[in-house]
Amino acid sequence: MRDVFVIGVGMSRFGKFLERSLRDLGREACWLAMKDTGMRPDRIQAAYCGNALGSYLQRENGVGQSVLWQVGIRGIPIMNIENACASGSSAFREAWIGVAAGLYDVAIAVGVEKTVMKKGALLDVGDAELEVKIGDVFPGLFAMRAQRHMYEYGTTLEQMAKVSVKNHHNGCLNPYAQYQKELTVEEVLNSPMIADPLTLLSCCPNSDGAAAAIVASRETAKMLSAKPVKVLASALGTGLYHNKKEMALFDLDFKVSKEAYEMAGVGPEDIDLAEVHDAFTIAEIMHYEGLGFCRVGEGGSLIDKGETEIEGRTPVNPSGGLLAKGHPVGASGIAQIAEIVWHLRGEAGARQVANARIGLAHMMGGGKEGDVGACTVHILERINEI
Amino acid sequence: MMEERGEEIGTQSLGGFFIRSSADGQPRLIGSRCTNCGKNFFPKRLICPYCFSDEKIVEALLGPRGRIYAFTTVRVPPPLGFEVPYSYGYVDLIEDDVRVPAMFTKDRSWQLRIGMEVILVIDKLQTDREGNEILGYKFKPIEE
Repeated sequence: MRDVFVIGVGMSRFGKFLERSLRDLGREACWLAMKDTGMRPDRIQAAYCGNALGSYLQRENGVGQSVLWQVGIRGIPIMNIENACASGSSAFREAWIGVAAGLYDVAIAVGVEKTVMKKGALLDVGDAELEVKIGDVFPGLFAMRAQRHMYEYGTTLEQMAKVSVKNHHNGCLNPYAQYQKELTVEEVLNSPMIADPLTLLSCCPNSDGAAAAIVASRETAKMLSAKPVKVLASALGTGLYHNKKEMALFDLDFKVSKEAYEMAGVGPEDIDLAEVHDAFTIAEIMHYEGLGFCRVGEGGSLIDKGETEIEGRTPVNPSGGLLAKGHPVGASGIAQIAEIVWHLRGEAGARQVANARIGLAHMMGGGKEGDVGACTVHILERINEI
Repeated sequence: MMEERGEEIGTQSLGGFFIRSSADGQPRLIGSRCTNCGKNFFPKRLICPYCFSDEKIVEALLGPRGRIYAFTTVRVPPPLGFEVPYSYGYVDLIEDDVRVPAMFTKDRSWQLRIGMEVILVIDKLQTDREGNEILGYKFKPIEE
């Protein structure tokens, strides 16, 4: 396999944009990624579009073709990718595969989603799964994980609330974030209960937005980019669906991150910053454990010690994460890649993690049998010279 | 075959997932048992995901007793329109070594907790848009 480099990234602001279409948001992200490299769209040889709910919520199919039409991309292979919340990160992985395999020299991955709906409504993901038929909703699934984590490891409501406080603080430093407002632990705990013990401010919002990343081979990256970032690893897994699934830990996190660390030749102690799937506060705590930033059961004390703050040992979600930056489902995985690229290039502004060399992006999506549908881990590295 | 194992509950029910057993009148879940590797499954599967047998896997009626593994109470209306608040979670079936998702009965006098013993019942799950009552299986706490 060939080495692959991220040569351009871009994203729309995340938020509520009732007047903007999927294709309009997608165009903005793709065009910004092109401008980031200074390249023309006709250099792109393959495109992958992550979108989870467009066919359901907007009644649109072929979202990738519609988005890329806007920037004049035509004739090349375009693939639409659906992997729930991991749709964008899966699209990025496909672009990586295409270049790593030597099929293409330049490929683009774009993720776009519109999920903003009327206030107080829970995201409708269809009712094909038995769980949904008996009342399962995403906050409820994570609420049960929180209950188990509290039961098994003594994790507290305050520790979970601190994740939201930290990520909202980081969101204040990120001009792309949907929310730019500081929160207190009390505000998180006293916000309306959604599914016990998760309150409104323990859950990510529904969001609209798009993000894009362009990857290239070494020779092409050298030609097209002054500041390429190397992709050290890409890994994707699906739920293990053990009969009697353990809900207090994500065994898929362990499996997929192990594959990624081995491919990259680094360990959790080498990670200078991470963007992880914090759709709910408890999820971030469980990912600390699944990604090896602490031992199993110690996620709560990691947030207590401040080790995942921007100035901490392993900053997690400096962008504000899904909790504050927002979560346009199919876009989130690529927005994480953009965030890490900015930190590795030293372009992350007020939220910059000092001297960041290696970053990790983690996404998970969907649910089945109390397990996870898809999980991706990507590891990126700053390089001094290509 | 239907007559032998029991009565399927109405067309408006969560069809195919539960049954009232003809043997003892108890509701049971319609799952599968792999007679090759001994594992039970719910919902029903046609191929065993452990030994991949498609011949040794047979329908099995599971339950009715279980213990709560995890639960939560939902406070905001979900897309399917269940009346809030409602509680649901995962229950470990005591006899069958399998974990199943389920709603719990609305009896508010019970304070649910992990490890609590529950029993399978048939109860109203929701009222659909046409006003029909949709029946489903639920678990009800057993008085200790």
